Amino acid sequence: MAVALAASLFLLFLAAPLVGLVGGGGVEGVRLLSSDAELRASLLLTIGTATFATLLGIIGATPVAYALARGRFRGRAIVAAMIDLPLLIPHPVAGIALLLVLGRNTALGSRLSALGLQITGSVTGIVCAMLFVSAPLYVSAAREALDRVDPRFEGVARTLGDSRWRALRRVTLPLAWRGLLAAAIVMWARAVSEFGAIVILVYHPRVASVLSYERFTAFGLKAALPVAAVLALIALIPLAALRALRGDDLLPRRRR
Amino acid sequence: MIGLERIHAKVGDFELEDISFEVPQGAYGIVIGPTGAGKTTLVEAIAGLVPVTRGRMVLGGTELTHASPEQRRLSIVYQHAYLFPHLSVRENVGYGSASSRVTVEMLERFGLGEVAGKNVRVLSGGERQLVAIARALARRPEVLLLDEPFAALDPRRRVTVRRELRTIYFERRFTVLQVTHDFHEAGLLGDIGVLLDRGRVLQVGKPEDLFRRPASPLVADFLGAENVFAGMAQPIRDEAPDWRAGADPADVEHAVAFTTGDITLYALGHVIPGPSHAVIRADDISLSRTAAASSVRNQFRATVVELAPAGAITRVTVDVSGIALVAAVTTRSAQELQLAKGVEVFAAFKATAVHLC
Repeated sequence: MAVALAASLFLLFLAAPLVGLVGGGGVEGVRLLSSDAELRASLLLTIGTATFATLLGIIGATPVAYALARGRFRGRAIVAAMIDLPLLIPHPVAGIALLLVLGRNTALGSRLSALGLQITGSVTGIVCAMLFVSAPLYVSAAREALDRVDPRFEGVARTLGDSRWRALRRVTLPLAWRGLLAAAIVMWARAVSEFGAIVILVYHPRVASVLSYERFTAFGLKAALPVAAVLALIALIPLAALRALRGDDLLPRRRR
Repeated sequence: MIGLERIHAKVGDFELEDISFEVPQGAYGIVIGPTGAGKTTLVEAIAGLVPVTRGRMVLGGTELTHASPEQRRLSIVYQHAYLFPHLSVRENVGYGSASSRVTVEMLERFGLGEVAGKNVRVLSGGERQLVAIARALARRPEVLLLDEPFAALDPRRRVTVRRELRTIYFERRFTVLQVTHDFHEAGLLGDIGVLLDRGRVLQVGKPEDLFRRPASPLVADFLGAENVFAGMAQPIRDEAPDWRAGADPADVEHAVAFTTGDITLYALGHVIPGPSHAVIRADDISLSRTAAASSVRNQFRATVVELAPAGAITRVTVDVSGIALVAAVTTRSAQELQLAKGVEVFAAFKATAVHLC
């Protein structure tokens, strides 16, 4: 009884603010989408940069996830810890760390700037911040997805004539694609909701979370509510996608 | 052929150490060993799926110690079929197939024609294993590695699948190495037996030699020899025609007296005088109610201690001067002899049935 009560209170604690947010500003937020150009541009920027960051994450982080799932190399634990680190530090700290490497006056930042690639105060900076804080989630989930595919499937494929890459393409990826897609969705959702690292690196152009914060500080709760509610509604898209993906389990239980 | 010379391989904390044996071209090798012996690691090392840290491996006459799996011209079948679950039966069999004609041939030979278009997830355990074997054979391998391939099959299907595999084997004469823990299967199929335990080879030889002439009491015990006795062996210097004066007892097979407890057994062997073990398989011991007049060198008066019938065979434990001896007789014989606890019998076995190790 006490456990049920505690569980109910906990669920209420999680649900109440979100229900209040969507209930209080959802309709107004959706209505604003047609009239508020700044909100629309901000949402498009958020979705576009998050999608681009996710694509970069898939390209760069999938091999890392594969190496961590399959490889038995020296320093594997260090690599794994290094990848988890951005998840553990406060996100403004992540922003500061990025600023130290990519800021205008740093060695790398000034070189990139000379090549016409501005990081701070640019769309590129937003993508960098999103990638930094959300890619570790992708690596972690993708590694788990690849780990669920028994390496013996790959082994059998290789004895049947496949190279490592061909076995990966013909067997492992088709068996792990749901998990990899779920990992990408989680990464995308995290990127869309990022605030702390982005606000340090790029205040303008404003992504939706920064816009929501700016309206809250400048005009108060009433003005921030519709923007925040729309962001919460956008979060429902990946949630629904993840639920749909979990509907089918292709793989048999892993045997060792 | 499969030739391993002092192979070492490591997976996690487990290590294969100093593995050497050879399965000649076209021969059927059997690896026998208890759970955890390293049987699967061994076949995976041969397949190139587990890296070899030391030693030399020759497959089909080519040195391939560190070659990638796809360069080895071999196939592997695991106990759990490891069919690709996203592909149909036909796609699985055709995965590494030499040609589409071979794929069709394999589907037909294993009776998979009707289910060829189905996804492998809907197949029964037996059908799945058939697909795995067909897939491995469709590659036309020079070496076929089988890791307990029949364990998941029901007894009837096991016989038919084994027969089909044997037929293809005799047609094509590729080299086979099969892992099993089934001694009957090992004796039935193998040209060469490799006994593995804790990552090491205990004995290599013809399967019947492993059973009849185990290299150590451990091997005998593992292979299910019921009668293993520790005692003292002493070559007999007698007038027998096989006695050669002055020959080294380790080189020449002599009549040997083996003393354990209060009894002395007569055996043949290359034995250096001293502590030894005698192994007698239960089915080499015959029981009778009267002393038999025959050439058997070992005949003892005994008392039945226990009867354990198991279908057509009954294992009878008899007491010979305080030593328990197990004989396997047909249940019909046990009834005809009216064997029961406390009944006096004679237990007899030939000197050639006593293996000293």
